[in-house]
Amino acid sequence: MPSRQTFVVAAAIALALGWGAVRWLTRPTVFAQPPEQLSVYSAQSSYAVPTITANGQQYVGLVELLEPLGTVNARPDGKKYKLRFTAPGSRELELQFHDGKEKGKVGGKDIKLPANFAIQNNRGYVPLSGVSELLTRMLGTEIRYNPAARRLFIGNIEQHFTLDLRPGAPSKLFISFDSPVNPTISTEPGHIRFTFRREPVLAAVDHASYTDPLITGANFSERDGIGELDITGNAALMANFADGGKTIIVTAAPAPPPPVLTQQPPAAIPLPPAEHPQTPAPAPAGPRFFVLIDPAHGGNEIGAAISPTLPEKDVVLGLARRVQRELANRGINAALLRNSDIAISLDQRAVSANAARPAIYVALHAANTGRGVHVFTSLTDAENYSSRDFLPWDQAQAAFLEPSAAVAGSVSAELEARKLPNSTMAAPLRPMNNIAAPAIAIEIAAPGDNVSEIASNAYQEQVAQSIAAGIAAMRGKIAEVRP
Amino acid sequence: MTRPIVIMFLVLLLIAAGLGYYAYQLRNRVAIEEQQMARRSQVVVPPASGPTTPVTLYVASDADGSLRRSQENLALPQERSERARAVLRALFGKYSQGSSTHPIGAGADVRDVFLLAANTAIVDTSPAFADSHPSGVLVEELTIASIVNTLNANDPQITRVKILVDGKERDTLAGHADLRRFYSAGSMAPALKETP
Repeated sequence: MPSRQTFVVAAAIALALGWGAVRWLTRPTVFAQPPEQLSVYSAQSSYAVPTITANGQQYVGLVELLEPLGTVNARPDGKKYKLRFTAPGSRELELQFHDGKEKGKVGGKDIKLPANFAIQNNRGYVPLSGVSELLTRMLGTEIRYNPAARRLFIGNIEQHFTLDLRPGAPSKLFISFDSPVNPTISTEPGHIRFTFRREPVLAAVDHASYTDPLITGANFSERDGIGELDITGNAALMANFADGGKTIIVTAAPAPPPPVLTQQPPAAIPLPPAEHPQTPAPAPAGPRFFVLIDPAHGGNEIGAAISPTLPEKDVVLGLARRVQRELANRGINAALLRNSDIAISLDQRAVSANAARPAIYVALHAANTGRGVHVFTSLTDAENYSSRDFLPWDQAQAAFLEPSAAVAGSVSAELEARKLPNSTMAAPLRPMNNIAAPAIAIEIAAPGDNVSEIASNAYQEQVAQSIAAGIAAMRGKIAEVRP
Repeated sequence: MTRPIVIMFLVLLLIAAGLGYYAYQLRNRVAIEEQQMARRSQVVVPPASGPTTPVTLYVASDADGSLRRSQENLALPQERSERARAVLRALFGKYSQGSSTHPIGAGADVRDVFLLAANTAIVDTSPAFADSHPSGVLVEELTIASIVNTLNANDPQITRVKILVDGKERDTLAGHADLRRFYSAGSMAPALKETP
């Protein structure tokens, strides 16, 4: 018989092994904070998908990756993950993956990912390094992927530019693109930089040098999901847009005026400090009718649970992209306040919206109760609003209630025309009161008793068309805003 | 190592694995039971003893986004703020019933009503009121409108209402409706259709 000491040692080892096994079996998959993003450029849309790191690999959400490219119906089932995807004009394709496995199926054919597929909180993630092959198999089109810059181009959509330096006093550098561009511009002494987030801009030649007294060179680089063109010079530079946004002219900036010692007037709206800087892409310079679409919630803030696997934040992001497409079809420039699954505070949404100075602000929500589409304007204490020189933060919307109601009425009329059940009312919805522009909020619920119909392609398409048509009808009736 | 020690080690290993699996199952069961208990917790309706008084409740309906006026007979306290609290608890009691047209989540309760300057009511609700409230623009607005209109209907002096959660101001009710502001009975009326 074993001694008492042997028995205790054996029991301790067995218990430790058992406890270790239980902890190992029930370990959660730990995802790091999302520090980076993948920029995807396609004929339908340009968008960014946040990447996350797990077990030393970078991953992207499969639904977030595919949703802008077509209709997605994901069905996580424990360790299994099935997804149906239909690209416009193509037949439905089924994808099957398994948590912790490299092998999967695309349209019934085997595919091996470079790392394990992962499921976290019922969301499927594919390794970033496998996205290019996966999309090639799914879409049957050429994919160009720059892993160092995390920029992915679907099809032949690259947008090249030419540089034409015209010496003079001062010299001018003409940067010509195939179609209008809308870069973020930043300057510092001797540099002017154009950052392209949404345009699939690529350079035929990355570097150019000039022996010009003003402009000395141009460098194009790709990094962190953006393309950046840096023009260097011997003096302060400025840029003007021409040819409907297809040409940027870089030249010498005018000399600054002599300093005048006066007190700056107060800002029109007291803005809180930015928590998560996220300014939507500014519209091209000049008169415009620019619409800002705000898909509510995002990140850990999921909104309403439409179903156990369908949060509000995903429904409204999909709808927002449809509305943007429908507005583009009607020749209206629109931007999304968030185009990926990120959290933005309510105050920051208002800050970004007011900075973008849209002609119309549209917040999108979804609900798992009620039926049809509800169009809201702000419920604000208009009677307390008196000054037009200074807008209190909580009453910024008060001056815009009339045009907001007109937009709501126009969208409601379009919904009515499509026989979609709808109502129009005022609501105490944040951050509507903080928006200094005509603003409406739209909450969609299922058209009938089946709540899952809220995500149906046909229903969302009808709603998106109604919203876009209602907004388009207001063009010319609302004062256009110049940035 | 002798044969008996190996056998004993394997037996103990098996027992340890079994205990670990049992502990894992137990943890899941406790979590489910806690959720069920939370669902079962309901508002304690006002005391039914004593003379009753007719009160008006504005009961929300999610199906058509309306408020329905409903008459109830309740035994009410004499003190004004206690009466307001009793009326609101009766309203919450309706919402906690299984057949409610506007379920607002488990454990929602009115902890206190404070009256300020004759016309202002501060309604302090339980944390569960906001934490378990369904999320949505319309559904949250209906709850606020029914509270404001019910208070005003039973005490016309109350024209301004602010809602606190667990004694503190909160940004939104469940992600949508603003809880930082005061609501006036007049401003809520045109926002919603009222069904008699």
